[in-house]
Amino acid sequence: MKKVIVIPAAILLLILVAFATMGAYRVPTLVVEFVEKRPAVVASVEYTVDGLTCRGKSRGFAGMISGVEGIVSLTTYVRSNTAIVEYDPTLTDPVEIETAFEGPIVHEDEDEEYFPFKAKK
Amino acid sequence: MRVLRTIVQTLFLAGVVAVMIRGAMGLTASTCETYCPFAGFVALYSLLRYKTYTCAMNELHVALFVSLVALTFVTKKSFCSWVCPLGTVQEWIGKAGRKVFGRYVRPPIAVDRILLNLKYVVLVLVLGLTWTVWQGHLGFRAYDPFYIIFTGFQGHETLWFSIFIGIGVLVAAFFVPMVWCRYLCPLSAVMDPMSRAGFLRLRRNPGLCTDCGICDEACPHGIPVATADEVTARNCTNCLECVEVCPEKGALELTLFGK
Ligand code: SF4
Ligand code: SF4
Repeated sequence: MKKVIVIPAAILLLILVAFATMGAYRVPTLVVEFVEKRPAVVASVEYTVDGLTCRGKSRGFAGMISGVEGIVSLTTYVRSNTAIVEYDPTLTDPVEIETAFEGPIVHEDEDEEYFPFKAKK
Repeated sequence: MRVLRTIVQTLFLAGVVAVMIRGAMGLTASTCETYCPFAGFVALYSLLRYKTYTCAMNELHVALFVSLVALTFVTKKSFCSWVCPLGTVQEWIGKAGRKVFGRYVRPPIAVDRILLNLKYVVLVLVLGLTWTVWQGHLGFRAYDPFYIIFTGFQGHETLWFSIFIGIGVLVAAFFVPMVWCRYLCPLSAVMDPMSRAGFLRLRRNPGLCTDCGICDEACPHGIPVATADEVTARNCTNCLECVEVCPEKGALELTLFGK
């Protein structure tokens, strides 16, 4: 019955393969364009955000930064808790954006949930 | 064999309980669902159709699902009896029931045959609802005993009736072995066709077998091992309980690619 070892060996190997390959590609959870016309100059900043774990929370995150003047787009990747924000550098900067999503919660409505987030340093 | 399998099962169960405790203490945002390959299967639809993920589904779920497919093609549904913590808990509860009743209690064959197909209905319902009513949200969580139990009945999607589902499955497993896996688990339904092909399977040696039937009784999935030349049944999880109890050495052996 030595062949039984195939089972735990296959389990271990395939779990390692899964964890090793999960970062091989990246698919967004949410993409939001905040402006119809992109400004002439666009900068982008990437945050790793505690609590950015699903599409609903991504929408909440979008809600929290939507009030910042100069925000162009948001793309989130929940596996890595990543938010990539494009902005007009003549109107805002990464610190102002971070301040916006870290709260305080600006508004709530029935369809959207808003959560305070925290950027991982 | 049983010791090895119990060690592997215990490790996975301990892992998921550790995630549950860390979650309850606020030390992690992960839940048991973070590592659930079924979410990867559900995610395939939005991934292929919209090139995006919805809800909490992500690359890890898909990678784990692809690994599960490979594992099932090689080792049949070993995931259920070696990895899945819900399978482990049901198995242990079922064994306690077997001790009390002196044997596994099984529904009549005709009823069992009908019930065996219920998981396909569950699968279709889960997929259909996820991509219509629930709009890509993993609404199945509220009905999924894996999520309900291994979030300690505290998951943010646990509703009042979820508690009854979680406890109901645990209690039912005492009376009917592997009740959730066997009749209702949608992931089990996904694995079925691959499991039938599974390359690592048991073969009965009719020259050594005495037709005592002990293996049939020991199988938590009620598979008629004693009359099979080769166990191709889709429900076989390669738990090897049948081999464990077989009194004739070599009557039941694992074969890989027929060797
Ligand atoms: S046939 Fe044997 S290995 Fe397969 S599920 Fe039944 S007891 Fe386990
Ligand atoms: S327990 Fe072993 S000897 Fe008895 S019927 Fe099953 S395979 Fe044959």
